[in-house]
Amino acid sequence: MIHSDPDAAAPARGEEQPRSAPRAVLSPWTLIKRFLTMREGSISVVTIALIVYFSLSIPAFFTSSNFQTLLTYFTWLAILAGGEVFLMINGEIDLSIGGVYLFAPLLFYEIVGGGISLVPAVILTILVCTGIGVVNGVVTAILGVNSFITTLGTLFALEGLTLIVSHAEQLNMPGSAVSTSANGSSHLGTFASIFGAGVYSELVWAVVIIAIMQIALTRTRWGLHTIAVGSNRIAAAEAGVKVRLVVIRNFMVCSSLAGLVGIMEAVRSQSISPDPSSSNSVLLDAIAAAVIGGTLLAGGSGTIVGAFIGALFLGVLQDGLAIKGVNADYLDFYLGIAILFAMLINVYVGRVRRRTGVG
Amino acid sequence: MSDNEFVNEAIERLEWNDAKVEATPQSKARAVTRRVALGGGAGAVAAFMLAPAAQALAASSSSVFGTGKKYHFVFVNHVTTNPFFTPTISGIQDACNLLGCSYQWTGSETSNVAQMVTAFNTAIAGNADGIAIPLIDPKAFNAPTAKALAKGIPVLSYNADEPTNGRLAYIGQDLFVSGQDMGQRIKSLVPSGNVALFIATPGSANIQPRINGAESVLKGSATKYTVTATGAALPQELSTIESFWQGHTSYKGLFAVDGGSTQAVFQTIQKYNLRGKGVKGGGYDLTPITQQLLAAGEGDFTIDQQPYLQGFLPTLELFLYHASDRLSGIADVDTGLKFLDKTTVKPYNSTKSRYEGTSSKVGVTNS
Repeated sequence: MIHSDPDAAAPARGEEQPRSAPRAVLSPWTLIKRFLTMREGSISVVTIALIVYFSLSIPAFFTSSNFQTLLTYFTWLAILAGGEVFLMINGEIDLSIGGVYLFAPLLFYEIVGGGISLVPAVILTILVCTGIGVVNGVVTAILGVNSFITTLGTLFALEGLTLIVSHAEQLNMPGSAVSTSANGSSHLGTFASIFGAGVYSELVWAVVIIAIMQIALTRTRWGLHTIAVGSNRIAAAEAGVKVRLVVIRNFMVCSSLAGLVGIMEAVRSQSISPDPSSSNSVLLDAIAAAVIGGTLLAGGSGTIVGAFIGALFLGVLQDGLAIKGVNADYLDFYLGIAILFAMLINVYVGRVRRRTGVG
Repeated sequence: MSDNEFVNEAIERLEWNDAKVEATPQSKARAVTRRVALGGGAGAVAAFMLAPAAQALAASSSSVFGTGKKYHFVFVNHVTTNPFFTPTISGIQDACNLLGCSYQWTGSETSNVAQMVTAFNTAIAGNADGIAIPLIDPKAFNAPTAKALAKGIPVLSYNADEPTNGRLAYIGQDLFVSGQDMGQRIKSLVPSGNVALFIATPGSANIQPRINGAESVLKGSATKYTVTATGAALPQELSTIESFWQGHTSYKGLFAVDGGSTQAVFQTIQKYNLRGKGVKGGGYDLTPITQQLLAAGEGDFTIDQQPYLQGFLPTLELFLYHASDRLSGIADVDTGLKFLDKTTVKPYNSTKSRYEGTSSKVGVTNS
């Protein structure tokens, strides 16, 4: 493929700009074009347009108070989608994140019930979730079962296990209690503030995790191998990439992140709800965020930052519709149409990108 | 009014309702069964329930009822894994232990009617001794019910009902009527102004009739309402209700028709200190957090529909139907509409039991 340099056209207009001129002198139009042709560019534009629309049509939307609420829609979703992106680039998929999301807080509850304090219990829980990732990875990469089927199996098994262990009873999440003072204001404990219930807690987790993963994907050998395995598995193996290890490792990361999100969301809602219908909707949202963000379902290509923006898009959409007070019967209709519309723009800009050879 | 007059009036009223529907062999059979049942069955059920527990334990069911047969009952359900039905399953287990029966809990996890019909037909093919099912579809269960009755298998509905179905009786809350009662309560709490009604998943047969009932009362009144969907997952329900509040801070009341949204309404009221602003809140069912927040005054009411009875009573009725050789056992039972408030919710907080799905152990323990 021929890579044309989009910067080359800019200095050509004026003789006074030598080839070695700093990039800062690029014309705004070139910058916009470059931004738009980035993999995350198109969905960013759609998301910004959506934010502008809601800000203009609903006075309560562009406020700090709603910003805090908006965070609860997408930050945890971005973490889940980030883990999923690594696997999707591999050409695999992990459906069991829904099951891990459901099971992790219950496991945490049982571990705390066994007398272990809160933070070590979080670490132990996440380690067990990592172990679930190992099982997914081994069954898929070594025993050769398709990852869709493997993780569908672990999804059901974990949902069932959650119902069995909890006796299908809703439980209070340890460490999440909110106390109300005499003047009516409510207070959180330190553990709850850090693990999910604090206003910016999930945002900090999401930004740190997404940054680390984006660097891992674009700047490390692990990321390079992940992309290589997804693009052409046989060629990667022949080039000496340990394909199975890469896949297993990505399953481990995906499950661990799902476990962390499961704990944080249970802390935020103060409850461990064993109802599998919630895990299934969470799972679908995470895959949707990854795909909307620009990761291919077929594998070989993807972006972690895109998953973050994809999650933000879904969050803005859901928050905006809720704050608008859209009638219950219309909500899914608007949601569906908006997602379709966003993806059409995404695909169109993607075509432009391919023509310019950038991205 | 004597007891007999009361029963006769009930029979007349039910038959008046039936007259609106075309008579079928099933409906005639049902009318006869109902006459027998309401005449004697209701008394038998009540007498049995009131019998001292020690006596029931001391004598085996065979010495009391003259039958030692181990009946097998199938409970088809529309949301088999929903925690709401945990006490219902406990109720079935307890009745089965008492009477020496066995049961199967089956159906769909996602209100999939086709799956429920399959489970229903499987139960008929497996010669179950009785079938209980929430009738969440107006027509889909008519044919299996007729088939089961023709085969001599009694069919009851629980939790959700459809009167045109040939089932022998309904045990549960009338969802639409409960919604109407909630609407009345909302009107008395917020006589004028705007209120929000939240529903987790619109169109779900076990919650949609409640919102329809509430709407039928509020429509045209000075209490203006909007209906908003909140989603299936609890954290998502919480986010949606918080967002809604941001955009509607002039609202005077937040109400919900499902357990998850009700908890989220109370949590939002607590988070934004809305009681200080005079905002009213209420809803359905009892999650542990709902109970705690209601007791702390972060809401006005929640409605308990006694899910335990929705498992215990159908099992009891199906057993009596066989034990009495069809002479007794079948009766419609309204498991009620218990409005709980700050004071009356307290015993729920201080105890754990099978009756409220907060424990799987026998009896009531202090928590």
